[in-house]
Amino acid sequence: MPLLELSHVSKHYPHSKGSLRVIEDISFVVEEGEFIAIVGPSGCGKSTMLRIINGIVPLSAGQVLYKGRQVDGINLECALVFQSFALMPWLTIEDNIEMPLEALGLPPAERRKRAGIYIDKVGLDGFEEAYPRELSGGMKQRVGLARALAVEPKVLMMDEPFSALDALTAISLREETLDIWQAPDSPVHTILLVTHIIEEAIELADRVLVLSAGPGRLLADLKVDLPRPRDRRSDAFNALTDKVFSLIEERA
Amino acid sequence: MPVTGINPIPEGHLNWVFGLLELLEDRGGREDGYKIARDLHMKFDDVLRVMKIAEILGLVSTPAGDVVLEPLGKKFLESDVNARKLMIREQLRQHGLFSYLIRLLKAQEDKSLSKEVVLEHLAMLLPNDPPDRLFNRIVAWGRFAELFGYSKDSDRFYLDNE
Repeated sequence: MPLLELSHVSKHYPHSKGSLRVIEDISFVVEEGEFIAIVGPSGCGKSTMLRIINGIVPLSAGQVLYKGRQVDGINLECALVFQSFALMPWLTIEDNIEMPLEALGLPPAERRKRAGIYIDKVGLDGFEEAYPRELSGGMKQRVGLARALAVEPKVLMMDEPFSALDALTAISLREETLDIWQAPDSPVHTILLVTHIIEEAIELADRVLVLSAGPGRLLADLKVDLPRPRDRRSDAFNALTDKVFSLIEERA
Repeated sequence: MPVTGINPIPEGHLNWVFGLLELLEDRGGREDGYKIARDLHMKFDDVLRVMKIAEILGLVSTPAGDVVLEPLGKKFLESDVNARKLMIREQLRQHGLFSYLIRLLKAQEDKSLSKEVVLEHLAMLLPNDPPDRLFNRIVAWGRFAELFGYSKDSDRFYLDNE
């Protein structure tokens, strides 16, 4: 049984002249352990799709199955990492990471212990009592990552997680995301990454789902068979980027 | 010029350095700084600063505008995040500014100081560096290396793990 199965998923918003179609008839399957990237131009509904999958946004038609069961309400086994980090400025780093654990009803001692494990995993030891504004963007996103991992989700959903970072910081965090995905002791082995950067998708993912703009339709589901670490300057890599680029271009 | 022999540390983030090392690994261990700036759409000055920080940390050398991965940099790339933190810690301890601050903190009864006192020392040691920003940098690097901590709530700059 696949971990996730989307069948004919559509999302429409009511509009003065009928309805605004954001996502149109998208179907795909995600197996446990896969790293999937969803790429497409802005307005293709890729962020909406993540939120439909984890149950924050209700769908208009079709269905999402998680472990064979229809998703009803928020799926607590999916955790999101945001482009904007979405940290609470008045809380310390440690308290930011503990916050969702409190919402899950974990007792304080367990929360502190769990937060400590993931603070350590993402290299934030030493930052526990710092406030978000004292941190660089890269360190803030490490907090976002630790906060998502601390709930020990089955699926890590990343919505443009590196887009607000400078180029060098993005390189280092992409690498660490791969390390976390591949680490045997990591709680999460399945990642859904939304990005508008084609190279990023091909560098990281096992499969790249290519969406068209307005409404988002699935243009292609490409397997990336390149060995890791992937060389962005290799011919095979470039061939794949060109392929995705032309798929999006043709529809633009 | 201050007579202490303490060198400044360039403005920048450690995550930049880690990204630079990954990039060097992908490019066979050596690259032209100018090419890095061009490929990453960065200002050349920014790339130079990252190169300088990585060099201070002993991770790269920078002959004639190139950046070359040094053995320590290679070891860094092969290590997990906690081993990386230890390596940065050892390198920072050997830097004049950080070792001065370690000595200063050790001389305090509670091994800690208020930010204001630290700023006075920084202004004296490196009068050309805006002390507030320098302090932020020392705290950011020091936290990563688990060398220094700073609590804003109690206004204490202190030795971590000592």
